[in-house]
Amino acid sequence: MAKTILAVDDSGSLRQMVAFSLKAAGYDVVSAVDGQDGLNKAKEKTVDLVLTDQNMPIMDGLTLIKNLRELGSYRAVPILMLTTESSDEMKAKGKAAGANGWLVKPFDPKRLIEVVQKVIG
Amino acid sequence: MQTTFLLSGAIEKLGASFMAIHEAVTTQQLEINALLNVADMPPSAKQSIRESREKIGVEVNAAVTGLQFQDMTSQLIVRAINRVNGLRESLDALALHGSGMNQEHEHEEIARLLNEMSASLSTRDDALMGGLRKSVAQQDMDSGEIELF
Repeated sequence: MAKTILAVDDSGSLRQMVAFSLKAAGYDVVSAVDGQDGLNKAKEKTVDLVLTDQNMPIMDGLTLIKNLRELGSYRAVPILMLTTESSDEMKAKGKAAGANGWLVKPFDPKRLIEVVQKVIG
Repeated sequence: MQTTFLLSGAIEKLGASFMAIHEAVTTQQLEINALLNVADMPPSAKQSIRESREKIGVEVNAAVTGLQFQDMTSQLIVRAINRVNGLRESLDALALHGSGMNQEHEHEEIARLLNEMSASLSTRDDALMGGLRKSVAQQDMDSGEIELF
């Protein structure tokens, strides 16, 4: 059974490219348009990996991660940030919030798949 | 607003075209694979087809990376708009304080008004810089770094 990834980004083109890349590698993808939408969808079905942007309206990525980590079902689910942010300060905040990795945009599909496979197989 | 609108429209069209081309190429590759299994082709021709397939894969990855430009440029445009709005507010504040000045004012009164103006501008500048944190540092479209904690 294919593993499911929740991809959260307020950019439609990013969601499209992430879904395209992950589906090509055999993963199922659930997309969300912001942190709140991501949290709602994460509660509907526990996924195998969360890939989230940081700068989003309504709820940003760090807040989403903190909320997910408070859910029992998401304590051990890997969460990766996929964001334009690259500062050490932001990475430290991400790690403190509960992120397991940091990918800086733009992403290369091949490298994205390599990281995802390393994290969830 | 117009720039953002045009950019969004362009990326939508580009994305749709990319997906359509990829679908067509994938179908074509499946047909070629079927032919490779059946047809009596010289090894050199089969090798050439495999190399073309690999090249297509590389170019598809490059296209996916490149199509992410709209996300970053949108953020930069928002930052520019915020800066312009902030500068406009600062100019409005300058005009407001300036209108309170009168050539008949004593020096102390003028100095007081100038200090108020300076403080007001400083407060606005701090607020503006706080909201203008640079979230996009990329200078090119090479794929970004990856770090697993």
